[in-house]
Amino acid sequence: MNVNLHPKESLLFNAFLLMFIIHSVQSGVGIVGLPRIIFLDAKHDAWIAVFLAGVLTSVILWSMIMMLKQYDSADLYGIHVDVFGKWLGNFLSIVYMVYLTACFFVIILNYVEIVQVWIFPNLPTWQLVLVLILLAVYAVYGGIRVMVGVSFLSVTGTLWLLLVIFVPLRYTDFTHIFPIMNVDIYHMIKGIKSTTLSIMGFEILMFVYPFVKEKRRALLYVQIGNLFTTLTFTLVTFISVLFFAEDSLSKVIWPVISMLKIVRLPNLERFEFIAVSFWMLVILPNMCFYLWAASKGFSRIIKRTQKMGIWIIASLAFVASFFIKARYQMNLVTDMIAKVGFYAAFCYPVILTIIVYLKKWLSRRKQSHAEPS
Amino acid sequence: MPNHPKWKLLVVLFSCVICISGCVERKQLEKLGLSTAVGYDLEKENQIRGTVVVHKFDPLAKNLTKVITVEANTSKTLRQKQNLETDQKLVTGQLRCIIYSKELAERGIIQLADALNRDPTIGNTVYLTVTDKKASSILKMEKENLKVDLGTYLYNLIKQNVESEQLLSPTLHEFNHAYNDHGKDPVLPILKIKKGNVVLSGMALFRDDRAVAELKGDKLFYLKILSDKFNSGTHEMGFNRSRFKRIIRNEQGHGFRSVYNKFFINIDNIHSNTKIKLVDKKNLRFKVDINLESRLLEATEILNLSNSTNIRYIEKIVNKEMEREIKSLLIYFQEKLVDPVGFGNEYIAHSRGKMLSKKGWRDKYKDAKFEVHVNNTIVKTGVSD
Repeated sequence: MNVNLHPKESLLFNAFLLMFIIHSVQSGVGIVGLPRIIFLDAKHDAWIAVFLAGVLTSVILWSMIMMLKQYDSADLYGIHVDVFGKWLGNFLSIVYMVYLTACFFVIILNYVEIVQVWIFPNLPTWQLVLVLILLAVYAVYGGIRVMVGVSFLSVTGTLWLLLVIFVPLRYTDFTHIFPIMNVDIYHMIKGIKSTTLSIMGFEILMFVYPFVKEKRRALLYVQIGNLFTTLTFTLVTFISVLFFAEDSLSKVIWPVISMLKIVRLPNLERFEFIAVSFWMLVILPNMCFYLWAASKGFSRIIKRTQKMGIWIIASLAFVASFFIKARYQMNLVTDMIAKVGFYAAFCYPVILTIIVYLKKWLSRRKQSHAEPS
Repeated sequence: MPNHPKWKLLVVLFSCVICISGCVERKQLEKLGLSTAVGYDLEKENQIRGTVVVHKFDPLAKNLTKVITVEANTSKTLRQKQNLETDQKLVTGQLRCIIYSKELAERGIIQLADALNRDPTIGNTVYLTVTDKKASSILKMEKENLKVDLGTYLYNLIKQNVESEQLLSPTLHEFNHAYNDHGKDPVLPILKIKKGNVVLSGMALFRDDRAVAELKGDKLFYLKILSDKFNSGTHEMGFNRSRFKRIIRNEQGHGFRSVYNKFFINIDNIHSNTKIKLVDKKNLRFKVDINLESRLLEATEILNLSNSTNIRYIEKIVNKEMEREIKSLLIYFQEKLVDPVGFGNEYIAHSRGKMLSKKGWRDKYKDAKFEVHVNNTIVKTGVSD
């Protein structure tokens, strides 16, 4: 297998689109429940924890770019083979593929659950799962450029939802955020860790990198995308803390949607219906990129077509959706993915970067040793 | 049709769209009964009686609304039983107003409020109210003189008064917020029947989820000032005439009116701003600073207002009187152990470390002391001096 991936010129996209990709992949189904999850750990300082998690993410993105820059145009699958050799490298790649597939699955299921609770209580899970999976498959069939388009549309098409979040500000109580920094370091770190499920998704960068046209400028746009995500998440958490009382924020499962319930338009009593429906646009790029990155492994590792991979992963996710029925099972799976995600998206890239640098350093030393003799 | 994979995919997608959209539950407006108001009474031990006003969309029906009363243990069973008594499916998406009887409110209503929270079809802006009699008696009232159904009437009644700032907004969200905050207690308006009409008569003060006291008439003005930024509302104060003797314009031939044996003055609030500060954390002393800008709209004597010292004099007396009344109101809250203003939130915001529990705050609240400063400026006196 080639370490470097050289896609056709026509498949490349401009670096500034990375901004939209990173933001759209990060903000998915997690943000709906984010304020509560962080609040459980970091209490009313949750918004600080979210902000710090964003800062941490930006550091990890920087290390990812540093790692990718060591190669000409490689993705994670290629780097694995280069660093760990054929067998161990491919094994790690397959593990990562499983993780990506699981993410794809969890995103869909979480969204379906929201739809079931808020709009259609009687809707069978498999119907909506099927529709969403087919939609994602259709987008991935279109190729990377179509998916970039999807993420661009997703960001611009749902930007207005950010304005709606200001409506609940009228019902807030500013005493809630004081005293600032009341929580101890341990709980703050726990809060930062809990943010992972919502803020992850940026690991996709390691797969789309070969398709970026101006690779030198990737870092800048990636950071802008992440900055935007961080600010959005912090704002949403901040307003949630102000809006809900201490005891209710720890109880509501989807604080953001509960908060939007207060929005009332003259001839639309229930705004959350619109919000939940629009959320599909928010999660669509997530599904697409995870499905794409996972299926990419089929063509990179096993030397099969990516199309076959898409269908295998799609049908796996579809079948698995039959096994998840109750909310507590859902929680279990989501928590597990969040935990794995913390290691796969936050820790692993940094470790890999260190290994890549070590390897480069060693080989350079070997060369310089070899030359004189 | 050319044999092209894209065509096939399109066909699959379209058939999915058509099949799946038919699978979802349909809700036709004509077949629905929209419940607009719900009332809960305590029937006997372990049982509540639910009354629901159902709005129909039937052009042929004479009465647009229908009232159904049943008994059960939980609110959802109530709805099921109510459904048995109507030809239309009951839905709660348009629920506007919920009435709890006084008995029930004194026992606690959080289990019923929690059922509302859990139900995604119920909005956050439903109004919660308390009545001093049976909730069913309000909902079953003669409705010939009502143009709209009772739920909408109640909704408009409350909304109108909230918007004109006579009343604190009693939405489900605000109730939840105050109930779940450690340093605040909810208040809900009290409904009464007066000559065949439903009217608002005051506010019920809650300790946790139990109504423990009632606040009447002019005290609402102060509660509103204390807990909100406030842009309207009039307040009447009575004084001994002798205190104002100096500035009463004593024109020849007119002299004293003997309609009232006291002197009344009416202050119309234009703008208010309240700051609650914790000045002494150890001894729990709060300083309440109230800045008012108001108009003098009515006085039962003709006053000489062209003189600035006279206005200053009125301001001073009014300030003192307001301070006295607010202080007595705060002490009344303290006696009843309710904290509708949210002093607890202010205290918690200034205390680091472990968060104070609801009970912890109540223990402390007993010993709290208040300093009240009112700074009332009469900025206008109407169109005449």
